[in-house]
Amino acid sequence: MISIERSLDTPRWQRVALPFVSLILAAIISGLVLAASGHDPIATYRQIYAASFTSPGALTSTFVYATPLLFTGLCVAVAFRMRVWNIGGEGQLYMGAIGASGAGLLLGGLPQPLLIPVMIVAGVLAGALWAMIPGLLRAYLQTNEILVSLMLNYVAGLVMYFLIYDSQSFWRDLTSPTALVFPTGKTLSASATWPGVVIGSFTLPTGFLVGVGVAVLLFVLVRGTRFGFEMRVMGDSTSAATYAGMRTRRIILAVMALSGGIAGLGGASQIGDFGHVLDPRGLQQAQYGYTGIVVAALALYNPLAVIVVSILIGALTNAGFALQGPSFPAGLVGTMEGIILFSVLGGEMLGRYRIRIGSPLRVAPADAEADPGR
Amino acid sequence: MNTDLIVAIVVSAIAYGTPLVLAGLGELLTERSGVLNLGVEGMMLMGAVTGFFVSQQLGGPGWAVLIVAMIVAAGAGGLMALIHAFLSITVRVNQIVSGLALTIFAGAVGLSSYVGQVWGIGGQHGLHQLNRVDLLGLGELPVVGPILFDQDPFVYLSWGLVVLVAWYLYRTRFGLYLRAVGESPRSADAMGINVTRYRYVHTVVGGALAGLGGAYFTLAIAPIWTDGLTAGAGWIAIALVIFAFWRPDVLLIGAYLFGALSSLGFTLQAHGVQMPSEFFSSLPYLMTVVVLAGASTTLARRRIGTPASLGVPYAREEG
Amino acid sequence: MSGHVEAGPTSTGTATAGLVPAVAAAGVTKRFAGGVVANDRVSFDARRGEVHALLGENGAGKTTLCNILTGLYRPDEGEVQVNGSPARLHSPHEAQRAGIFMVHQHLSLVDSLTVAENVVLGWSRHRGLRYSPRQVEAEIAEIAARYRMQVDPRARIWQLSLGERQRIDILKALYRDATILILDEPTTVLTPSETEQLFSSVREMVAAGRSVVFISHKLPEVLAIANRITILRKGRSVTTVDAAGVDARELARLMVGHDMPAGRVRRAANGSGAAPADQRGVLELESVCADGDFGVQVLRDVSLSVRPGEIVGIAGVAGNGQRELAEVIAGLRSHTRGTVRVDGSELRGGDPRAAINRGIAYVPEDRMGTGVSPSLSVTENLLLKSYRRDAPHAGPLLMMDRADTQSLALMEQFDIRTRGPHALVRQLSGGNVQKVVLARELSSQPRVLVAASPARGLDVGATEYVHGVLVDTARRGVGILLISEDLDEIVELSDRIAVLYEGRIVGIVDAAQASYEQLGMMMAGAA
Repeated sequence: MISIERSLDTPRWQRVALPFVSLILAAIISGLVLAASGHDPIATYRQIYAASFTSPGALTSTFVYATPLLFTGLCVAVAFRMRVWNIGGEGQLYMGAIGASGAGLLLGGLPQPLLIPVMIVAGVLAGALWAMIPGLLRAYLQTNEILVSLMLNYVAGLVMYFLIYDSQSFWRDLTSPTALVFPTGKTLSASATWPGVVIGSFTLPTGFLVGVGVAVLLFVLVRGTRFGFEMRVMGDSTSAATYAGMRTRRIILAVMALSGGIAGLGGASQIGDFGHVLDPRGLQQAQYGYTGIVVAALALYNPLAVIVVSILIGALTNAGFALQGPSFPAGLVGTMEGIILFSVLGGEMLGRYRIRIGSPLRVAPADAEADPGR
Repeated sequence: MNTDLIVAIVVSAIAYGTPLVLAGLGELLTERSGVLNLGVEGMMLMGAVTGFFVSQQLGGPGWAVLIVAMIVAAGAGGLMALIHAFLSITVRVNQIVSGLALTIFAGAVGLSSYVGQVWGIGGQHGLHQLNRVDLLGLGELPVVGPILFDQDPFVYLSWGLVVLVAWYLYRTRFGLYLRAVGESPRSADAMGINVTRYRYVHTVVGGALAGLGGAYFTLAIAPIWTDGLTAGAGWIAIALVIFAFWRPDVLLIGAYLFGALSSLGFTLQAHGVQMPSEFFSSLPYLMTVVVLAGASTTLARRRIGTPASLGVPYAREEG
Repeated sequence: MSGHVEAGPTSTGTATAGLVPAVAAAGVTKRFAGGVVANDRVSFDARRGEVHALLGENGAGKTTLCNILTGLYRPDEGEVQVNGSPARLHSPHEAQRAGIFMVHQHLSLVDSLTVAENVVLGWSRHRGLRYSPRQVEAEIAEIAARYRMQVDPRARIWQLSLGERQRIDILKALYRDATILILDEPTTVLTPSETEQLFSSVREMVAAGRSVVFISHKLPEVLAIANRITILRKGRSVTTVDAAGVDARELARLMVGHDMPAGRVRRAANGSGAAPADQRGVLELESVCADGDFGVQVLRDVSLSVRPGEIVGIAGVAGNGQRELAEVIAGLRSHTRGTVRVDGSELRGGDPRAAINRGIAYVPEDRMGTGVSPSLSVTENLLLKSYRRDAPHAGPLLMMDRADTQSLALMEQFDIRTRGPHALVRQLSGGNVQKVVLARELSSQPRVLVAASPARGLDVGATEYVHGVLVDTARRGVGILLISEDLDEIVELSDRIAVLYEGRIVGIVDAAQASYEQLGMMMAGAA
């Protein structure tokens, strides 16, 4: 029989190695899937690598996907670490995009250095407020935030569709001739465009830089501050947090708002960095919110690691879209992401446990009769 | 409202509610064993795509093809659930993340889309569709006829399953053991019940039922395959289990309520009511939020409901 | 020494029914990871129709032995014999098929199921798929009548008292026609009169030819019920004696390994630091009422006062409102009526932070689940309450390096043995975890300490240490409320003893004048 037992320590190298091992494992399993369906795995992986890193403009487009994933990855990392299961990053990102594009359209006359912060604030607020719905329900009624935040993703998507396709809203372009036939959103003014950093042929989006700043701030917040201390206690044991006099409801709300705000910032970056228009189809197709779960898990919920992982998964996502077509299997990216997640999960646990084949060796219970510590 | 409209609403409520009943019953059994599987959406999609594929490939009499397609769909759902079962029961990973992983893995941009493309069934029009069976020739009766006696076999199957699951849970030894495993795996273990086996079996059976629920989309509602066609039904099924306080009879009613909401837009528009379509489309999702909030206040007051060990891995030597 | 009988079939015990033992352990050894030897060549045998006691202190290896007998653990060496032949007991199920059934210390019932459902769990007299509630309920009623037990087969377990639940567990064994019943510390949850009922049921069981293995660390009850007694000490079986041939003093000597002075030594702080009786209490409760988890009132008009330097013990059978009382004072539960005062001014209910700020320290009963954050380090757990104000910080940032230095000092002072301040608390032994809790709670200079079952599950040394800390703390002028189901602990440490029964204080007595008999009557609600 196979049994899995707890070991008391996880060596540090195991935690560091885990994401890499998971990626390799995912590549192998996906390779088997590819081979089974008549694709050449090596050729497919070469294609992905080229499309994401080496061909002209590839790196720039990788960062187009890495930037939103950095935000949604941080959104998930900060929430999951505290066992607040916000999987509403998707909807919070939409709301951030609605908020930021609204602010950008309304205040389009402002100079760029003013307008960009205004868009950021609008995006953060919109995302945070949307996240407060599951947050309040969880904090005060113990309602399952997984399902509520997920349901609100669909609702937020429908709100976007309503604004652009089914109403005469402020966001919708009602004047240009093509827009009368194919409904689209109004395009933002030039001052609402985030400049980015151009290095040769590569453009680093402004949003990515902002995201790196957010990641560093989050890291310091969690590791070094009182609020971060409260978060870590809450994430480990709610009853210990209550016992220690922590305001657990407020902490849940704050974390939800923080998490949603970060996703909303990602939505603002979508408008400012890339779209310059509220595009419901494009945002919904990309599924950044859900992919953020993969990013956060692979980064083991560490904000700094999210930066690196977002580039990796961004590259994969980019390849998925760039190579879309009859010769490249659709759904491969999601399948690989799923396998990556499974591997990280399994690996994280196996690092903490040891597999034994044969009769189990029992570990003395926590309050064992004999007390080796004494 | 006239009777015709009501009958039309009820009939379409049943049509839209049936996949929810099937997937919901599956999740109910899984959760009763103490395992939370958030991968329902992915398992449904796998059931939908494999069921449709099989129905397109096989020759022979329509009913036989459809039965084989249903069995394969259930198998696909069960296989997906097995991944979750291994990770959450044997490896004891976090069940929430594992379920999400399953949804990403098998979901709209994952394996279901992959195999759909590999099999090339994307644009095909279905060769077989489950038709209504006029039971005992009573389908012509006013009102009750179309509701009770003129449904497709899937609907009759779902009714049979509700009764079967209810009987299993409350009137059989194994159902009793299942409830004990979900409530207190420690006690169940001490009484010689194999907790691991119960959890595996019910997680896999739950996945099979989700696969069947998915197949209802492609074999009964509309015989075509498009990526992500379940559109969140899997998540609503999970919410329904909470709404139903883990009881199969309440689940049936809840599923039809949600089915009515899903179809309300079409029905009302067909009868000339003007509203933005997004409003109707968002109703099931908004209702889920409202219902969950309501249920959580009730759950807080009631003692019975959530299986006490839901989502908690069981290991004998640990607390 | 005349009472000694060597373990084995040659003995001349009072139980005479058959010489082949119903169940026996022969040289059983069990080691755990980390080199702990919980059982070291343990042997004993229980005959048919006999009550055989396993007597030993906490940590003597009784529970491990039970887990081996019931198939939860497998012995590393030695074997278990049933009816004279080696038995394969690789799971609880196999043990039950061999006729061995354990009534657990932590009862193994499923709360939300009915009595009848619990009884047939895992085994039914009826083969086949069907479960018929009516049939089973009738069968249970019949067994209950035979053993004169009061049982409602349709009640749900959560509606029953702990004593009633134990009865269901025994009923479960009888329904399965168990030949060997293992009772693990069965009287802990019982009032004296319920204990009497239990004993008469046990006597009927052995009269019917069953064997009962009775596990306890309480001398008087072992002498009252057992035919023979096997003494365990530090994982070894010391000897087996005839109950008729020994007295309590002799048993105590065998159990502890050295002579104990006659009677128990009272180390209590009596009179030492306690303020005079007319001084105002540092903690005062007046007509406090509170509801339990399910909205039923569990504390009724509790009035109580703890003076500086005084230890007030709350005695009572488990489940009579002790947990709720501790939680109300610590601010974890709102009271519905009455007032709680600290140093004369009222404490807002349901606000743990207010309670902490007013100087109430709390050592909770559930130390791993509530008292610590298990996945955080020792230092972080020591900061659990002080991080808001006293912890070393620079602006919004906590200075963990300096906190580590402070916690090293506390670890030294409270004898916390770990790899260092970064060790995770879940890796510590129970005794060290409790020392972390005590170190944190006492380093905040509290006015009041509420300690709930502070020594539960600890070994003898750690228990001594914890008790010593409590007495010292009282000497320094802190008012202590000690809540425990262990009457010995209460009597040993308290200056005054209040007895809680069904949520009411039924009496407060001076520890110097208290007798076990009087306290027992009050705990049973008879006074």
